[in-house]
Amino acid sequence: MEVLFNDLKKLHQSIPELNEVIQRTVSDFNFIRGKQVTQFEESFKAVLGVNHCVTTGNGTDALFIALRSLGINPGDEVITPAFSWISSSETISLCGAKPVFADVDSQTYTLDPDRIEEKITDRTKAIVAVHLYGQAAHLEILKKICDKHHLFLIEDCAQGHLTLEYGKYAGTVGEIGAFSFYPTKNLGAYGDAGCIVTNSDTLAEKARRFANHGALLKDDHLVEGMNSRMDTLQAAVLLAKLPHLKRWNEMRNLNAQLYDQLLDGIAEIILPLQRPDASHTFHLYVIRAQQRDELKRWLANYGIQTLVHYPQALPDLPAYHYLGHDKGAFPVAGMLAKEVLSLPVHPLLHLDAIQYVADRIRGFYKK
Amino acid sequence: MEKIKMADLHTQYLRIKPEIDDAIQQVLTSTAFIQGPEVNAFAQALGTYVDVNHVITCGNGTDALQIAMMALELQPGDEVILPVHTYVATAEVIALLGLVPVFIDVFADSFNLDVTQLESKITPKTKAIVPVHLYGQCADMEPLLAIANRHKLYVIEDTAQALGAEYTFSNGTRKKAGTMGIIGTTSFFPSKNLGCFGDGGAIFTNDTVLAEKLKMTANHGQRIKYHHDIIGINSRLDTLQAAILQVKLKYLDDYARRRNDAAAYYDLALAGIAGVKIPHRSGNSTHVFHQYTLTVERRDDLKKELEAAGIPTMIYYPVPLHFQKAYARKSFGEGSFPVTESLSKTVISIPIHTEMKPEQLAFISETIKTFYTT
Repeated sequence: MEVLFNDLKKLHQSIPELNEVIQRTVSDFNFIRGKQVTQFEESFKAVLGVNHCVTTGNGTDALFIALRSLGINPGDEVITPAFSWISSSETISLCGAKPVFADVDSQTYTLDPDRIEEKITDRTKAIVAVHLYGQAAHLEILKKICDKHHLFLIEDCAQGHLTLEYGKYAGTVGEIGAFSFYPTKNLGAYGDAGCIVTNSDTLAEKARRFANHGALLKDDHLVEGMNSRMDTLQAAVLLAKLPHLKRWNEMRNLNAQLYDQLLDGIAEIILPLQRPDASHTFHLYVIRAQQRDELKRWLANYGIQTLVHYPQALPDLPAYHYLGHDKGAFPVAGMLAKEVLSLPVHPLLHLDAIQYVADRIRGFYKK
Repeated sequence: MEKIKMADLHTQYLRIKPEIDDAIQQVLTSTAFIQGPEVNAFAQALGTYVDVNHVITCGNGTDALQIAMMALELQPGDEVILPVHTYVATAEVIALLGLVPVFIDVFADSFNLDVTQLESKITPKTKAIVPVHLYGQCADMEPLLAIANRHKLYVIEDTAQALGAEYTFSNGTRKKAGTMGIIGTTSFFPSKNLGCFGDGGAIFTNDTVLAEKLKMTANHGQRIKYHHDIIGINSRLDTLQAAILQVKLKYLDDYARRRNDAAAYYDLALAGIAGVKIPHRSGNSTHVFHQYTLTVERRDDLKKELEAAGIPTMIYYPVPLHFQKAYARKSFGEGSFPVTESLSKTVISIPIHTEMKPEQLAFISETIKTFYTT
């Protein structure tokens, strides 16, 4: 049996109106800031219950625009997890600021709140929290720390579309939430796309200005900015897909529950923890496995695609050698990099496929 | 008569609709939306077209400039010379990276960077020159490259408006815009001569080492997946857009010919009208007429008159870069860049695109003539 990590073809076929939507958008011929862009911004902010949504070219740009809108400048420090996709630290460097890595919690893999305060200096301006794999970071605690030390909280929601903590959506607790709509995300476009959300009128205006060459009106460049836009075509695709997002998240959760049952009791693996006070949108279903690389190869031989998110702790990357961290300075991140393995969990995954994957994993450790 | 537009992309699309729709459908079927095979195929085809060794596609024309400057490792405080009569993107990228923009005035006839002033702008901190091939015609590249070589400066050609334009050197060598400096950048904004159906851009270079670095910079600093060697950004051309561009590239020369036909008509019809200067043709560059830009007296009145007659026009650019509020912290007085300041009050771009009808050209020309002769 072949088990794909993602099945965008099946997903596309499951929404027959998408072809029509794309054809219609092409016929409208309004490819830059067409009405679908505003419609998507309106719809997405309504779903999250937040005051503003500003679309961007992709999720990395969204983070960069968030940081710049909050005035992160050269010389500033921003605390960010040692275990994540590079965007959450790369964008800090792009501002000329210093990414200050903090280790993650060994249970949830999101920022460890106990490791934050030791990193705060008088140059610290913000914390970038990442809702890794689809589980909310410890938002309420992080927010308290930020309030106490007068820091901004930026939420990287690239993997956390509609994830909740204490009934609040990820992206709505900090000053700004940054989203990616990369095609394989829980809500994915048909190319690159992203957005930021915020309740602040001032920040929304700053972000909108910065993302559009520093101008709200044509030729009125009040500040210098950049060019980062969501294509009308992508907004049209996202508008058509948005009504399905909650259902897809539920399907991912059902897949995760089934894995939990079928993989229960295997001593060599650790299953993802689901916090009782937060939801999980299972953008990724990540186990920790002994002999991870052998298991990955074993599964590949059986036609099962798996991925490693991520094979290195961020501070260990050559791009961050200049920060001079010792190898092993972030023990949890280092351990995760060796052990994590992401299993297919996409919404249209067949139950038989999950059974098959679970059986092969069990088989691997019995051999 | 059909309604006159600044650009008629829709009719252009309808002429090749089956091909474009097929290309889109193919991507929807493959669902390889990011870095699908069409991206590389288009990059190869574009490389062959402009005759350059490496084409790196990216998210838009502004990103292309940013990636170029990051890959060249320009450092905060380095000075970059650029024409002051241009779109804001060029200056903005320079500022975004903490570099110092050094403005230079343009020639009144070609609207391109005034190379005679170039040496006076060079300081020990100067690292690069960004000539912008404005409106579709190459800047004076031969003298510019000679000065750049002498001072060991990088030349980054902003080719957003001039893809396909060709420059002839004094020894007879011909090169396409964007392939003469160390790096060339371009944009596929929908209304550009080669436009996609959203945002898109590309970078050209003949330098293999630099090509690798440009590719890494556009892709989070990665050479291979999850190995981030340098700080980069995320800037990609969507597969969908690459598929569309691949179809349109075949027609780019035809599009340039159609634009030149319209320009030739305007030249004839508008030559010799007192108060109107038709666009100058540089002797050593072809013109792809992204814009047909007149220099006129009573510009704002003409604009109103044309508008009333149903003729749209655009002003590129009404506010010189040195007067933009974004630069207000630096003090540039009136008269700092006299040619650019004068152009900001006198230039007007009239409709030019691949679908101009003879009766539209006649009507526009006639309306302008009447304005100045009655």
